Amino acid sequence: MKTFLKFFSLLIAALLMNSAYAKDITLLNVSYDPTRELYREVNTAFAREWKAKTGDTVSIQQSHGGSGKQARSVIDGLEADVVTLALAYDIDAIAEKGKLIAPDWQKRLPDNSTPYTSTIVFLVRKGNPKGIKDWDDLIKPGVKVVTPNPKTSGGARWNYLAAWGYALKKNNNDQAKAKDFVTRLFRNVPILESGARGATTTFVQRGIGDVLIAWENETLLSLKESGADKFELITPSVSILAEPPVAWVDKIAKRHGTEEVAKAYLNFLYSPEGQEIAAKNFYRPRAQAVAQKYADKFPKLALFTVDEVFGGWQKAQKTHFDNDGIFDQIQADNR
Amino acid sequence: MLAGGLVAGQRVLADSTTDAINELKQQIQELDQKVRILERQKELDTEAADAKAKDTPRITVGSSGLSVGSADSNFVFQLHGQVQVDTRTFFNDRDNHGHSIQGNDTFLLRRARPIFSGTVYRDFDFMFVPDFAGSSPQIFDAYLNYRYAPWLQVRAGKFKTPVGLEQLQADQYTFFNERSLATDLVPNRDIGFQLWGDVGSGRLSYAAGVFNGVADGRNSGNSDFEDHREFAGRIFLQPFKTTSLTALQNLGFGVGGSWGNTFSNATGLPSAFLTDGQQQLFAYTNGVVASGEHWRLSPQGYYYYGPFGLLGEYVISNQKVAKGSSSATLNNTAWQIAAGWVLTGEDATYAGVTPRHPFDPRSNQWGAVQVVARYAELNIDNNTFPTYANPATSASGAEAWAVGLNWYLNKSIRVNASYSRTTFDGNINPKAATVVRQPEEVVFTRVQLAF
Repeated sequence: MKTFLKFFSLLIAALLMNSAYAKDITLLNVSYDPTRELYREVNTAFAREWKAKTGDTVSIQQSHGGSGKQARSVIDGLEADVVTLALAYDIDAIAEKGKLIAPDWQKRLPDNSTPYTSTIVFLVRKGNPKGIKDWDDLIKPGVKVVTPNPKTSGGARWNYLAAWGYALKKNNNDQAKAKDFVTRLFRNVPILESGARGATTTFVQRGIGDVLIAWENETLLSLKESGADKFELITPSVSILAEPPVAWVDKIAKRHGTEEVAKAYLNFLYSPEGQEIAAKNFYRPRAQAVAQKYADKFPKLALFTVDEVFGGWQKAQKTHFDNDGIFDQIQADNR
Repeated sequence: MLAGGLVAGQRVLADSTTDAINELKQQIQELDQKVRILERQKELDTEAADAKAKDTPRITVGSSGLSVGSADSNFVFQLHGQVQVDTRTFFNDRDNHGHSIQGNDTFLLRRARPIFSGTVYRDFDFMFVPDFAGSSPQIFDAYLNYRYAPWLQVRAGKFKTPVGLEQLQADQYTFFNERSLATDLVPNRDIGFQLWGDVGSGRLSYAAGVFNGVADGRNSGNSDFEDHREFAGRIFLQPFKTTSLTALQNLGFGVGGSWGNTFSNATGLPSAFLTDGQQQLFAYTNGVVASGEHWRLSPQGYYYYGPFGLLGEYVISNQKVAKGSSSATLNNTAWQIAAGWVLTGEDATYAGVTPRHPFDPRSNQWGAVQVVARYAELNIDNNTFPTYANPATSASGAEAWAVGLNWYLNKSIRVNASYSRTTFDGNINPKAATVVRQPEEVVFTRVQLAF
């Protein structure tokens, strides 16, 4: 019996010692198309901070694609610990269809779980040969507009709603005129890429089109990487406040035992360092101090929200992007 | 004035040339855009077609049956089938009145089984095999298998108990129509749970399970009527399977066994031991019941190399029985050795023969032909007689040899014929016995479809 007790005590001690050792943790962040550079930097900074705080090594893997497609992948079994997608509707889908995220996910983090924002602007070729200044110029005959497919890309849905919101404001909320405006705009779209990054590549590298409608962060990145001698950023008079949200995936993080680190990872985005990284990567920071520091980077323009103009993402999705919604009608009209 | 006119004319000409060049430039730019757009559209169409192909369910029909699967192979449904049409013709068989035994020469639908199998949620396999060849439909296999990895799997349901080598071989691949006397002593299908797997790409296979427990040579019903369970397990090694020693790659050997307690005649004792011709050579007398421990042990092995195949096993079945106030522990043994040679040169394997040139007379192709031979013995414990079995009508042992010819028309169709002769031991009374009063001589034929 004594021998057994001795063995048992040693075993418990060994287990306790083992649990005190630093752990290697892996997180999977399933994100949308243009956030590659942002999260590459965030991941490095967070891993360093987490190591200093806990001694654990955290390695964050990234997966990128069209926001809608990414949400579908998570619902179908992609084991994301956190999702950082282009729009709330896609995370709602994971919560509702996949039952993987708590329904009140948007209230769990500050600012409706959107640690940074962006907006929709235009990128044109140097010299602006087609004289594009505002949304009205995009529907002129002969102007080729590059934007991704709203059925697969979150960014494209923001583009579409930005155009629709502009047309509504210009036409005293006349929905028919707004539909006509957006129909004419998509008549000028020669090809629909599946994601925002694909659309940027098509415009920037393949030389297709006269104007790219894109995330502000994506256009600023293109200017930085390709040089201001090739492209120009055009800020329209009115655009939409794009709020890309983040959430930890409760069921998967719980199963992986990564809930704590997943929450800490997303909270890091709100920290001064996280906000600095967002601003450096051309996302508009939420923190006032950081926003003021980088104010000259982001042009001022009138912004409206999805809630104000469309009654929220659920309603916007159902009206415009679901099967047989207005976007499908527009595409049918343009064929 | 003339000079002025000339200059003005040249300017007009230059302006119109510049306009033409600009117009051409614009046309070229527009054409360039069109080409770029068309090229990209073509790429997008190809990407969309590839993506669609990845999402399209896969349907295949072939010698392995019908298979319908999701694009990611996480869900698969397969339909296979097996039909065996046999004849049995007995020679020199006389009953105790000197008349030819009636009713044993027959055309026979031996097996008629649709086989449903597949996978759900990537790791869960299932199999359901009913048989419609008997007097009433029966369920032979019905199980669910969870596959964590090839080396760690769990199976639950009704399936073959992991003991006998020939018993575990699929029906369509056995050398002869009927399994040997050795199979009389091993369990057939039973209901239970089994942990199993193939380690090191099949160099080691293991299985260990707990089952209701069935009598020697018997199938389980769909429920059990006693509380005791039977444990069965098997380890089988193919140590050279993944080496470059081709002559030894298909050498396999191992041991299977079972242990349990049985106290019921309903499931505990075999109703009979059968000859190759499926006639009764031994039966316990009325009132004999299983009365306790029952264990089996079966060392076994096979060797296949090129067209040559060899399979052998030895079985001990040790069981406590009782009749009234008498009880005894009986030790029955059996063994067999069987060999085959594919005359047309194809490889012989535990999983059958695949003809190199499937049957097609128009192309002068005739399939594969294999000769097979087998010798087997069954020995009943001497203490069985006379208390637990009638020595006048039940044999105390049997020796059987058989030869045959198997013609594999293709992977799915096989035609075969064989001859088997079984002699019987014991104090048999020719006036009381029927089957065992003389050696059994029987010719079998079979036409088999298995896909």
